[in-house]
Amino acid sequence: MDPKITEVSQTFERFKAAFVRNDFDTCTRLLSQLKVLLTAFTSLPPLFQETSNAIHELTIARDIYEHAIVLSVKMEDQDAFERDFFQLKPYYTDARGRLPASPQEYPILGLNLLRLLVQNRIAEFHTELELLSQSALDNPCIKHAVELEQSFMEGAYHRVLSARQTVPDATYAYFMDLLAKTVRDEIAGCSEKAYDRLSTSDARQILLFSSDKELLQYVEKEHPEWEIKDGFIIFQKVKDSVPCKEIPSLQLITQTLSYARELERIV
Amino acid sequence: MFYFILPFFMLSCCFHGITKYSWSYFQAKACSSASIARLKTVNRRTVDVLASRLYFYYSLCYELTGDLAEIRGNLLALHRIATLRRDELGQFCRYLFYLGKIRTIQLEYTDAKESLLQAARKAPQAALGFRVQCNKWAIIVRLLLGEIPERTVFMQKGMEKALRPYFELTNAVRIGDLELFRNVAEKFSSTFGSDRTNNLIVRLRHNVIRTGLRNISISYSRISLTDVAKKLRLDSPNPVADAESIVSKAIRDGAIDATLDHANGWMVSKETGDIYSTNEPQIAFNSRIAFCLNMHNEAVRALRFPPNSHKEKESAEKRRERQQQEQELAQHIAEEDDDDF
Repeated sequence: MDPKITEVSQTFERFKAAFVRNDFDTCTRLLSQLKVLLTAFTSLPPLFQETSNAIHELTIARDIYEHAIVLSVKMEDQDAFERDFFQLKPYYTDARGRLPASPQEYPILGLNLLRLLVQNRIAEFHTELELLSQSALDNPCIKHAVELEQSFMEGAYHRVLSARQTVPDATYAYFMDLLAKTVRDEIAGCSEKAYDRLSTSDARQILLFSSDKELLQYVEKEHPEWEIKDGFIIFQKVKDSVPCKEIPSLQLITQTLSYARELERIV
Repeated sequence: MFYFILPFFMLSCCFHGITKYSWSYFQAKACSSASIARLKTVNRRTVDVLASRLYFYYSLCYELTGDLAEIRGNLLALHRIATLRRDELGQFCRYLFYLGKIRTIQLEYTDAKESLLQAARKAPQAALGFRVQCNKWAIIVRLLLGEIPERTVFMQKGMEKALRPYFELTNAVRIGDLELFRNVAEKFSSTFGSDRTNNLIVRLRHNVIRTGLRNISISYSRISLTDVAKKLRLDSPNPVADAESIVSKAIRDGAIDATLDHANGWMVSKETGDIYSTNEPQIAFNSRIAFCLNMHNEAVRALRFPPNSHKEKESAEKRRERQQQEQELAQHIAEEDDDDF
C-alpha cells in the first residue's frame, strides 16, 4: 500500500479515537495535519486525476471531511462548518458517479440546509435545494429542513419548535436551539404589531418562557420600549399613514414644474 | 471540412430518430463527444457556425440523460475559448431564461420576472417549446410576487394545453383556497416535477394562505381564530395556535390590517381608512407620470436616423453636425435627469 495512504489512515484512526472521547484539542490538531496530508493526493478535487488509488483516496478524504463537519457542530463553530462543507461538496457532486454513496450524505446536506436557515440565508438555502434530486427531497433529513423553512416563512412558529422533538439526527440539536432563539425574536416582533396588550402569563406562553422572571429579563434586554403595567404588557404602536393635514406644497411645486418642463420638450 | 459534416449529420439523426430509447442517447453522447474532440484540433473561423451547433447538441444530449455534471468542466473550457475568440453564438435569449430561473430560485422575483418576460418576447416565433417554458416560469414568478396573470397569458396560440396546469394553479392562488391548491398541486405533480417547478409551488402555499387571510379580513370585522383556522383549512395538530401566529405575522408584514385579542381568541379587522385623505394617491400618480416621461426620454435617446433617408444626400460635414446635435440633446436630457433625481 502507498505509504502516504497508510499515514493518512493511521492519523485518521487516531482522530476518530479522539473524536469519540470528545477530545476537541487533539481532534483539531490531527484534522489540520490530515488536511495538509490530503493535499498530496492528486486524485482529489479539483485535479481528479485517475491514479491507481483514486477510489480509495477519494473515499477516505470524503470520510475525513464528513467527520470534520460533525466535529465543527460539536464545537459549535459555524465558520468551520461552512469551510468543511464546501470542501466536501465536490465529493457529493463531481465524484458522484465514481464513489458508492455515503450514508452520511443526506444527514450532512440536511444539516447544511438547517445552518443556512439559522443564518437567514434563504436564497442560498433554495439554491442548495434546487441541486437535490427528487429521491433526496424525500429523505427524512432533507424533508425536516424543508418543512422547517416552510413553517418558518408561513409564521407557524409552533410547528418549528415542535420539530425540535423530531430531529432526525443528534447533531441537529445545536442548530435547532439556535433556531429557537430566532423564532422567539420573530414572535416578539410580530406580537408587538399584532396585539395592543397581552397579560404577562399569555406573553410568557406565546414567547415560550418557562417563568415570568425569564420573560421580564428578556423584555428588559431586547424590548425596553414595551410597558409593563398591572400584569399586562402594553405595546407602543407606531401609527402610520395618518390623514394628511398639510399640503406638501414645496414637493408639489417641484413635481409640477418638472412635468411642465418635460411636456414642453415633447410638444 | 467534410469530415465534420458527417458526425453532425449522424448526431442529428440520433436526435430526430427514436430519441426515447437510451441506446440512441448513448450513441448521441458518444458521437457528440467524438466530434467535440475532433473540433478541438482545428482553429478555423469557417467552422464556428457548425461548432456552435455541435456544442448545442453536445450539451443537450448530456442534459437529457441528466449527466450534465460530467461535462461541466469541458463546457466551461469551451466557453472560455469562445469568449476569447469572440464567437457569436446568439444565445442571449437562453441566457436571459437561465438568469431568470436563477433569480427566481434566489428569491429575487422582480428581476426574475423582467428577465423571463424579456426572454419570452425575444424568443423566435418558431421556438414554441422554449416560449412555453418561459411563460410557465413567468407565471409562477408573478404569482410569487402576489400578482395574478391575466387570462390572455394562458390563451396564447399553441400554449393553452401546456399552460393548463398553471392556469388551475393560478385559480387556486387567486381564490386563496388551500384545499383546492393542494389538489391541483397533487393532480399535476408529474407535470410540475418534469418542469422542475415543484419547489417553487411549495413556496406558493404561503401566498395562498395570505390571499385567504386577506379575504377573511375584508369580509369579517371580527372573527374567532378557530374559524380562521377552519376557513384556511390548516391541517396541523394545533390549528388555533398556528392560525394565531400566522395572522400575527401577516399583520407585521402589512398583508392585513387587523389586531389580535389573545384573551378572547379573536381577530379584529381595522376599518379600512379613507386612502384619499392621505398622500398615497398623489405618490402613486407621480410614479406613473415619471415612468411615462422616462419612457419617452429613453425612446428619444434611442432614435437613430439612417443618413440616406433624407431626400438630398447630406454631406459628410452636415452629417457630423446633425450627429453632434443629436448627441447634445441626449446629453441635455441625461443632465436634467440627474438634476431631477
